[in-house]
Amino acid sequence: MKKVKIVINGKTVEGVQDQSVLSLARENGMYIPSLCYNAEVQSSGGSCRVCLVEVHQGKSMRVVTSCNYPVREGIEVKTDTEFVRKIRKGVLELLLCRAPESSEIKELAARDGITEPRFFTDGPDVHLKNCIACSLCTQVCEDVVGVSAISMVNRGREKQPAAPYMKASNACIGCGACAYACPTGAIEMTDTPDARTIWGKTFEMQKCSVCSTPFIPKEQAEWIIKTTGKDRAFFEKCPTHR
Amino acid sequence: MDVTIAKVDEIIGRYGKTEESILAVLQDFQREFRYVPEEGMKRLAGVLDVPESRIYAMGTFYKALSLEPRGKHTVKVCMGTACHLKGANQILEAIERGFSVKRNHTTKDKNFTVESVNCVGACAMAPVIVVDEDYHGHARSSKVVDILKKYN
Ligand code: SF4
Ligand code: FES
Ligand code: FES
Repeated sequence: MKKVKIVINGKTVEGVQDQSVLSLARENGMYIPSLCYNAEVQSSGGSCRVCLVEVHQGKSMRVVTSCNYPVREGIEVKTDTEFVRKIRKGVLELLLCRAPESSEIKELAARDGITEPRFFTDGPDVHLKNCIACSLCTQVCEDVVGVSAISMVNRGREKQPAAPYMKASNACIGCGACAYACPTGAIEMTDTPDARTIWGKTFEMQKCSVCSTPFIPKEQAEWIIKTTGKDRAFFEKCPTHR
Repeated sequence: MDVTIAKVDEIIGRYGKTEESILAVLQDFQREFRYVPEEGMKRLAGVLDVPESRIYAMGTFYKALSLEPRGKHTVKVCMGTACHLKGANQILEAIERGFSVKRNHTTKDKNFTVESVNCVGACAMAPVIVVDEDYHGHARSSKVVDILKKYN
């Protein structure tokens, strides 16, 4: 791991070569908005474009997405210039057209002074409500969970995550990772004492043999047993009673 | 052609058992069945051992693939600027009414799939409809149903 020094907003900071500009800025307490980036998901980022910053190198300047721009010796980053704000404003206005009811998008847009987009907005029947088509959920399902139960389907305005044939998925194990990862809370997941429902499929929950609290969908436990060889007895008790 | 597992397997068998074959197989499904059937995508996923979600993503991405059975004939109603000004809307509505079909869908008897498209490059003949490969220029809403009735 090669250490490098760069300047962010006038302050010299030390980071590791090739880590993202976004992560280094955050380590140093500087705010850059982000939606589609999750540090735990290798393939994530680069899609929502709200994390734009200026990168200066010698005489040249580029506006880049900080979540996937690698830190290199000698670059200078500016996160909150007039120019960055102007471009980000345009990005947020378009995101607001796509997800006009999302509180996360509304909040970010309002920070940049936008409350009403000038363009037409997508109604609830065009795509999954509040979804900005960033693909984070499908990346989590494929790369982290490893089941690929959902994928991005259709294209253009209609692009959205879905299970095959828009039906309940055979492959889904009910882990809910997609719903937790989604930056706009667009994926509906309901938990009752006995069951969890997500992507149109209902999962029976495993209950703790001590306190009978439901803590994991049975199918997810089976998946973990199958793929990691973990002992079945491990899933008889909830994390607190293990 | 009816969708049978034997036919599906025959089509899948035309290509190598690798991911690169997915699109070719989906195109052949489209050509032979006039749509990409769910059974076909399922079977393909099983044979290639790739997630169904990946195949479904491709099936929904390409305009040339349709997940609904398509009609024997494709009727494209041009909605480009010139045709629009010359009353393309009335023509499309006349077809919708005459064949009880909504735009971008297929008639009950599966004879026609009706699409609204942008400029087909024959603006001098606006308004234009294109049935399969035939261009019908200066279309009139009162005549268009009769023109289509000749296609069986
Ligand atoms: S549902 Fe959420 S995570 Fe998935 S693509 Fe839409 S906004 Fe992104
Ligand atoms: S957070 Fe960087 S592009 Fe979305
Ligand atoms: S607008 Fe219809 S052919 Fe050009």
